[in-house]
Amino acid sequence: MRNAKKVNYLQIDNTIEHIVSRPEVEVLPAAAAWQKYKWTREYFVRKPKEGYFIWLKDNSASPLLSCVSLNKKKVEQSLDNLIVIEKGVRGEMRGTCNVLKKDLAGIHQARGVVLLKEKAALDYKHFHSWGEEEIIHPSYNFILEKEARLNYLYKNVSSPKQIEIATSFRLSKGASADVKIVADCQKTTMHLRDTLVLAGDNAKGQISLRLAAREGSNVTADSEIIAEKEAKGHLDCQGLLISDKAEISLTPALVCKNKKSQITHEASIGKVSEEELHYLKTRGLTESEALKLIVNGFLEL
Amino acid sequence: MLLEIKNLTVTIEGKNVLDGINLKMKKGEVQALLGPNASGKSTLCQVLLGNPKYKVKKGKILFLGKDITKLSTSGRAQRGIALAYQYPPAVEGVTLSHLLDKISAIRKSDWQNNGLRKEEFSDSFLKRAVNVNFSGGEKKMSELLQVLSLKPRLAIFDEIDSGLDLKRIKKTAEIIKKELVEQGIAVLFVTHSGDILKFLNPDLTNIMLKGKIICQQQDYKKVLRTIKRCGYEKCKKGKLPSDR
Repeated sequence: MRNAKKVNYLQIDNTIEHIVSRPEVEVLPAAAAWQKYKWTREYFVRKPKEGYFIWLKDNSASPLLSCVSLNKKKVEQSLDNLIVIEKGVRGEMRGTCNVLKKDLAGIHQARGVVLLKEKAALDYKHFHSWGEEEIIHPSYNFILEKEARLNYLYKNVSSPKQIEIATSFRLSKGASADVKIVADCQKTTMHLRDTLVLAGDNAKGQISLRLAAREGSNVTADSEIIAEKEAKGHLDCQGLLISDKAEISLTPALVCKNKKSQITHEASIGKVSEEELHYLKTRGLTESEALKLIVNGFLEL
Repeated sequence: MLLEIKNLTVTIEGKNVLDGINLKMKKGEVQALLGPNASGKSTLCQVLLGNPKYKVKKGKILFLGKDITKLSTSGRAQRGIALAYQYPPAVEGVTLSHLLDKISAIRKSDWQNNGLRKEEFSDSFLKRAVNVNFSGGEKKMSELLQVLSLKPRLAIFDEIDSGLDLKRIKKTAEIIKKELVEQGIAVLFVTHSGDILKFLNPDLTNIMLKGKIICQQQDYKKVLRTIKRCGYEKCKKGKLPSDR
């Protein structure tokens, strides 16, 4: 990663290369946090062996940066991560998980909890960039306490062989979450499962999916909003099928347990418009350049 | 010769939409193509840019002496044929400035320093997605700026004057005159109303009806008078009925 010194947590294969705390943020290996702070055990799914703990205690002028990379062949990563944003604190986070070389055939698994305490706010951009042979299994739970606010973007810019992502969001009273999940899949089997639970009155949440499937891809997405209290939620699921040798399956689901809640969804799967493609070609772009522009435009949220 | 269309017959889903079209344009020449709705004007524009929807059944298109009938659309644009669409499609997620950057990189032009950009385009407008919720007038200006950025040898304007008020048509014509005609760039105006012609005085006016060019005249005013008086059908075999 460029500007490695600015990164709060840098892990390559199974080794922590770089870890930096600042006065307002404490960064530890997850295993050390488990030992140092007993309260963290409530959030870690199991006793961690690798992974990070990031605790933002006060507002920060610069974003928190994490980077977890694969560099050697057939490495298996199994991370347990915990991110905590303290009460009333506002933070930004940029997380990158990637490969540094081609043909590594690695495995990356991550179980994470992101806890936003009361009135905390987090803008979190999470980028994945993998090689053709990786197998990826991230699973994240976002817990939003009263009046917490989350903007979350997950973007998969280079897809692996196989990826299963499970993400859940639990929103307490007055909390809000704007979730965007974007993936450009090629020769990939992708399964997304995202659940947003409106657990408190006046909670507000939206999940937007933009999934592009190129040749050899099979993309399935099961998205669900559950309204337990008087709250608002919206699911916006859109797929773009680029090849006849690809498949997209979108299943939006709404579960309503409160008669005053308002939850809605929309879902569509489209193809690349020949008219748009031709229009861009009249501007001098080649077929592949025009296609790239259209797909990137679709993935722009 | 810049452009030479020879006996061009074009079909869509087996039906002839252009029938034996012949048209020549010299470098720097300004021509008009007039015709009623569904006469094939926009089809000819699309065929000149190689839209795969249309099949060339017979004939050839030569550009600068080279046969481009089978050349790709981007190849034609890169050789200097630019088209301003009548109804440009919306391209979600692609900002106008990003598209102009792409065009400028391909054609080695500088759209940012174009007078039209400075005068007509705010930064916030340039950040909008191409043709998404653009008004009719905004689409025309966007098409014009794209055409200028393409540094064309031949600029084709498909109904650039439709939906614009007279003041706006005059302004558009002035820009085209300054940026293209006076720079020696050939321009083909495809127009239903002919409103823009009074500001540009074409060297030759072609009349198209039912997929054929039925008349070619140097005096566009005479053509417009005839159409107004007798309709397009009276412009036959290269001749116009004499004014009474």
